[in-house]
Amino acid sequence: MKFRHILLAATLLAAPLAPAHAAKTDLIVGMAAQDVGKLDPHLAVSTIDRTVVAWLFNGLVRFKPGSMSPADIEPDLAASWDASADKKVWTFKLRPGVKFHGAYGELTADDVVYSLQRAADPKRSASSGDFASFEKVEAVDPLTVRITLKQTIPSLLGIITNYGGGFIVSKKAAEEMGDSFNAHPVGTGPFAFAANTPNQSLELVAHKAYFRGAPKIEKISYRYLPANASRDLAFQNGELDLEFGNQDQTWVDRMKKLPGAVVDVFEPGEEAILHLNAAQKPLDDLRVRQAIAYAINRPELIKFQGADVSRQPGSVIPIGNLGYVDAGLPGNDIAKAKALLAEAGFKDGLTLKVVHTQLPNMLAQMQVVQAQLKRAGINLDLQVVEHATYHQMIRQDLSAIVFYSAARFPVADVYLTQFYHSRSTVKTPTAVANFSHCTAADAEIDAARTEPDGAKQIALWQAAQKKIVAQMCAVPLIETLQAWVHKDNLVYGYDLKGSLSLGPIINETTHFK
Amino acid sequence: MIFYIARRLLAALPTLWAVLTLVFVLVRIVPGDPAAAILGDRATPAAVAALQTKLGLDKPIWEQYVAFLAQSARGDFGVSMVTNRPILADVGAVIPHTIDLTLAAMVIGIVVGIPAGVWAALYRNRAIDIAARLLSLLGLSFPVFVSGIFLLLAFALHWRIFPVIGNANLADPADRLLKLVLPSITLGLVMAAYITRVTRSSMLSVLDEDYMRTARAKGVPWKRVVWRHGLRNAGLPVVTVVGLYIGILIGNSVLTEIVFNRPGLGKIIVGALNQRDYTMLQGLMVIYCFLIVVVNLVTDLAYGFIDPRVKQA
Repeated sequence: MKFRHILLAATLLAAPLAPAHAAKTDLIVGMAAQDVGKLDPHLAVSTIDRTVVAWLFNGLVRFKPGSMSPADIEPDLAASWDASADKKVWTFKLRPGVKFHGAYGELTADDVVYSLQRAADPKRSASSGDFASFEKVEAVDPLTVRITLKQTIPSLLGIITNYGGGFIVSKKAAEEMGDSFNAHPVGTGPFAFAANTPNQSLELVAHKAYFRGAPKIEKISYRYLPANASRDLAFQNGELDLEFGNQDQTWVDRMKKLPGAVVDVFEPGEEAILHLNAAQKPLDDLRVRQAIAYAINRPELIKFQGADVSRQPGSVIPIGNLGYVDAGLPGNDIAKAKALLAEAGFKDGLTLKVVHTQLPNMLAQMQVVQAQLKRAGINLDLQVVEHATYHQMIRQDLSAIVFYSAARFPVADVYLTQFYHSRSTVKTPTAVANFSHCTAADAEIDAARTEPDGAKQIALWQAAQKKIVAQMCAVPLIETLQAWVHKDNLVYGYDLKGSLSLGPIINETTHFK
Repeated sequence: MIFYIARRLLAALPTLWAVLTLVFVLVRIVPGDPAAAILGDRATPAAVAALQTKLGLDKPIWEQYVAFLAQSARGDFGVSMVTNRPILADVGAVIPHTIDLTLAAMVIGIVVGIPAGVWAALYRNRAIDIAARLLSLLGLSFPVFVSGIFLLLAFALHWRIFPVIGNANLADPADRLLKLVLPSITLGLVMAAYITRVTRSSMLSVLDEDYMRTARAKGVPWKRVVWRHGLRNAGLPVVTVVGLYIGILIGNSVLTEIVFNRPGLGKIIVGALNQRDYTMLQGLMVIYCFLIVVVNLVTDLAYGFIDPRVKQA
């Protein structure tokens, strides 16, 4: 009897938690995070931070919501623009009357100049590298901005879109707040920062004066829920409307079975690639690198990861990038791999020391790769380390093979330059992520960057990919798409095919049915 | 008494200094550069170098060490390298949750563990004893991330009594209590298992003592003999375990916090470690260390309360 009373009292206490059935205006999002790190858009690099920053800020131009194709770039804070004949001088006319969050007034050309200069400054931005070709940014009048480039670049619009360094901040707020701007971001986006409770949640409110109209969602609670299992349980229990998911088939299948759940699988595909360190023996021998390529079985990897969330790559850059070509990757052929190894003097096989991360997803994929290579007599001696340590060690050139999974701005130049241009080789002053010491296509990558003719530019990028594959700088493995799940009463207001922020865009059209 | 407490706190200073030094060295020995971790994989070496300068990581180690000690002495823990938020504000926001969970788990542990241990000792090798030993073994061997998920499945998903997301609103006592039930049971049962075992063995060692027999012979009721004479003498090891365990609970409740989506000190420590947030880690360690010193002090004072001979000594 007593227990019943306790149970009843507890149920009454829990009653307010029952999901409401009236049209909601509060969106509750579950994110795999301990906390947000950087809300300053020019420093936001993790999926956790980028997802939110995209709801708070705008760029001069933007990807049409739900798309990340460069062909879908449309006006955002800029109403129109034109470029000089040589594509070196670009003039942007700003939308009048755009309001910043809170009491930070209207957007002017000064804010845009300040933001782009800030994004180009390595001291204040993680994307400064993207702005290397900028000569100057100036305000012509309060609603006109002129960007002058040192040389023509493949996609200026790509750099100033709603991604990375392209986000426009309030000059007044950023100057007033200094470092604490990161904890109190002020932008022009559909949602404004309200509060952050460390370790618990970030609260956003609708920016009623948003220039595209007041958002229908009034509040967003972005909850930090690092444990996958309990985040899923919270979603299942109706405590979340939208949740960051796992990029694997079991998760997708499980979520699809839940009543009222809609699984979103969208671009970008993060391409996992084995970068073969040609500066180290025995990988300096092309035949050994080719043997590794022939030992990889991509369909098996897809089967392991799941057909809904992954696909076979066709080149050393992700599918869908502007300039992508099917570069003719070698198929799985163990006999050929063994023959190549024997020819290179490794009849009895060989062992390679590889530094790898302990992040579960990446480790599991690497273990499949390890098993596949073993069939050809190639043993991977995996040195599994903590993730930040892995990032440091691979940049110190300490691994024979680097397994790296990444998505970049979808124009071939970015991926090719960062991963395969000799300038980006690790342990050099201009290092980015060329772990393989690849030099195969420097000429094509450089020529394409300044090629004014679009078709010729694409031809150069395609030639570069083929050369990189021929030299086996890298062996593509698998492309994994983003996976989220939302309640069927939540309507994004657009068709979600891709999102460069790696999370669904929540904007003025998003609402509950 | 006050003099005793002050003396104990002063004696803790060298310990605190040693731990600070150890923490300072350890966080820097771990490979992984905070600047690179903060800026991500698209950052240029110039950007990484600029951030290192800004964070003071380019200064000589001894200079960083002196600055760190001076700051700690002033009680100024600075701001997080990653979020730029003041460390004390972040810790202040989660510490009530950690204290709630620790105290609740401790209460459950004591309320369940001590009677179970006493009964098990009284009925040595009989059904009650065997059941208590088995259950405590089960409690110790069941990891909290499994028992926690089971509790969530039963009470949150099936019966829908408690929520899955346990980040309580501190201003609302009912909400705070509701969200404390499952995590404190999860953690409390592990503690109960420990306490049961210690209480049992400690009780067994006093049950055959002369004074127990004498008390019984004088006609004191058996219940009173056990609880007043027996448990009081068997209490010291139990208090030691409770004291030690509270220290462990404060930092190690991280798994419970993660499973039940609760904020807490343990979770912040793990987050700071992953991000290589040196300043946050250092600040947290100082606070953690201070808490341990306080808990040890309270444990020592409790000894005197249970056994006056300790105070005299």
